[in-house]
Amino acid sequence: MRRLPVYLLVDVSGSMHGEPIESVKNGLQLLVAALRKDPQALETAYLSVITFGSSAQQIVPLTELSAFNMPEISAGGCTVLGEALQLVCKCRENEVTKTTAEQKGDWRPMVFILTDGVPTDDPQPGIDKFRSMKWGASVSCAAGPGADKALLDKITPECVVELASADQSTLSAFFKWVTASIVSTSKSINESGTSTGSMDQLPPPPPEVQIV
Amino acid sequence: MAKNGDKVTVRSVSGKTYEYIWKDTPSSGAMKDVYFSPDKSYVVAFFKDPQDANAIDRLQNLVGTYRQGIFGGPGGDYWKKIYCWPTDIVREGNKVAIIVPAYHKEFFFTYGSKTLDIKSGEKEGKWFTNPWHRYCNLDAREVGDWHSYFDICLLLARGVRRMHMAGLAHSDLSYKNVLVDPVSHSAAIIDIDGLVVPGKYPLDVTGTPDFIAPEVYATMHLPKSDPNRKLPNGNTDLHALAVLIYMYLLCRHPLEGKKIWDVEDEQHDKTLAFGEKAVFIEDPTNKINRYNVDWVRNNQPKSRLPYMLPWMDLDKLPYTILGPYLKDLFDRAFIQGLHNPSMRPKAFEWEDGLIQTMDLMIPCQNPNCKQKWFVFDNSASNPKCPFCGTPYKIPLPVLNLYNKANTSYKPTGMRVMVYNGTRLYQWHANPRVARNEKLTGEQKKSLACFQFHQGKWYLRNERAKGMTDLQTKQSIPAGSIVELKDGVQIRLDDENSRMIYVQMVNK
Ligand SMILES: Nc1ncnc2c1ncn2[C@@H]1O[C@H](COP(=O)(O)OP(=O)(O)OP(=O)(O)O)[C@@H](O)[C@H]1O
Repeated sequence: MRRLPVYLLVDVSGSMHGEPIESVKNGLQLLVAALRKDPQALETAYLSVITFGSSAQQIVPLTELSAFNMPEISAGGCTVLGEALQLVCKCRENEVTKTTAEQKGDWRPMVFILTDGVPTDDPQPGIDKFRSMKWGASVSCAAGPGADKALLDKITPECVVELASADQSTLSAFFKWVTASIVSTSKSINESGTSTGSMDQLPPPPPEVQIV
Repeated sequence: MAKNGDKVTVRSVSGKTYEYIWKDTPSSGAMKDVYFSPDKSYVVAFFKDPQDANAIDRLQNLVGTYRQGIFGGPGGDYWKKIYCWPTDIVREGNKVAIIVPAYHKEFFFTYGSKTLDIKSGEKEGKWFTNPWHRYCNLDAREVGDWHSYFDICLLLARGVRRMHMAGLAHSDLSYKNVLVDPVSHSAAIIDIDGLVVPGKYPLDVTGTPDFIAPEVYATMHLPKSDPNRKLPNGNTDLHALAVLIYMYLLCRHPLEGKKIWDVEDEQHDKTLAFGEKAVFIEDPTNKINRYNVDWVRNNQPKSRLPYMLPWMDLDKLPYTILGPYLKDLFDRAFIQGLHNPSMRPKAFEWEDGLIQTMDLMIPCQNPNCKQKWFVFDNSASNPKCPFCGTPYKIPLPVLNLYNKANTSYKPTGMRVMVYNGTRLYQWHANPRVARNEKLTGEQKKSLACFQFHQGKWYLRNERAKGMTDLQTKQSIPAGSIVELKDGVQIRLDDENSRMIYVQMVNK
């Protein structure tokens, strides 16, 4: 079975402390709960969470939804986005099955990046590495005015979205949209018959989530 | 602006009024936002996008002429169980909505799952085609037994047959667009608003990946205006129907095999595997796509193997466990007709094949067998359940049905297996009666039943008027019983009715 790997990259720097990070946890919980109710997503989607603050960490390895346990997430420190990009590439190399003559590999991973600030490390090597691989539908999200949209556009030129602020209701709308995107991708994988046109399979975002 | 819980009244094109309860976050799919009526007996489903004149015309045909044609005649109510058919159209400014009867309550989970929060959720078909869902994620009280799925498939085939008879095509038959209830053995076809209506432009859908016909897949890259581009139609429905039946009965996909066509690009690989290059996984002459147990072990998540493997073991549960009629139909659907749409079995043929196969089914004698039923295999000397391996240990009368032909009888090729509970009906006895939605109440009453008593099988005539033992020429009046022995020939009813020729196997 081809799995649909989904990597969530979440900024846990100091500025995310408080309401933003609590909202992220809440959003993640709702995301998993909603995906578990969808037989298609439950069958194919596998989820991993990578956080980046003072360091990048894969706090949940690629896990099937029925076995997913909510991780502890706390915010503090700086914003090593570049390191996080390196890490997601490494995780992908280790976790995502490549197709061989004897084995069906996984679908291209979807990546969602959520950040509210500017990277504190040099992101370029990470961006280069990330761009050298082929991903499924990938979205970066500028949560609030502090994020560097131009930089995010270099990571996922297909889609950058923007939230007016990183508050509870806005983040919850964002996670709902991520959920709907995973559901629709799990249902329509291969519909377009091409490997690139995957972005137009994502549902239109709610008003809180603006496409940049 | 309406608030959550407000009652909104709308007027349909035909002048009827409908009400719905406003919700800020209605149930919603890719195309529609759906609101319930106050008594929840119907829904008002608003299209998110504006609908053009052709689309409205198409919908108008569906709720008008076509609906009238199917539901308006005698026995039309029968179809209310099988279709969730839109009844009216509402226009509000530039918004268009359809009125659709609410899904029946048996299509919502009673127990759902022991591990997932899906109680009261919709019994979308997908829950029942993946064995990991069916036997691990769902509560055992939700999944019925193997017979449930034969009955479900029969209803789906019937639903498709009626639609096709009217000249309509569903165009997106899939486990997403059917609801099934294995507990009450029911099924309903939903998303009727996408039907292809003769003479009207079809909706802009290509269908659901697992069910798209090879010719549609293979031409999907062409622009819609290209004459070589194949769009969904009745023949693509027949592919989808065959896939659905295969998946419900065997819990695996008929084309999803081992062959990799493109190692670099998964999307392209699937497009080829389901399109241009599609090969049936059980094709006896072309084994390129066939997998074995080792491959399954390598290609399925470990935790799911105990549920996937019994079904994905093609040697242990080949499609031939479905009996000769369905084997033949699947050969036509997935071998001869896979790339040759006009050779695919028609929906009525699936109906007949399923009905005849159900007459070959016998109950497994292992009380703990999950499937509880299997199809008797005429070629095996020691019948046993293919699922749990339990041998069938009691004598098994096989009734061969013969048609009256002038002064003699001709075999029909139809057989009925006798177990405690087998019943014979009009459609067995009378060649002019078919088991379908047109049966009258009287025709649904059984003519004869069977009992196993002290090692012997007896037929009991319940209400047939002219039942006769053709060898002794003795009448078998209603209420009396007769022992079944090898070679016994019984005329089931009047002069022109069929005869059964009894064969005792497994003695
Ligand atoms: N007749 C009905 N009775 C009860 N619930 C319904 C009915 N029709 C639709 N719904 C609910 O509304 C949701 C969306 O409806 P539907 O699937 O028909 O919309 P759609 O936009 O055509 O979806 P799709 O993405 O399947 O094309 C459904 O998933 C279901 O939960």
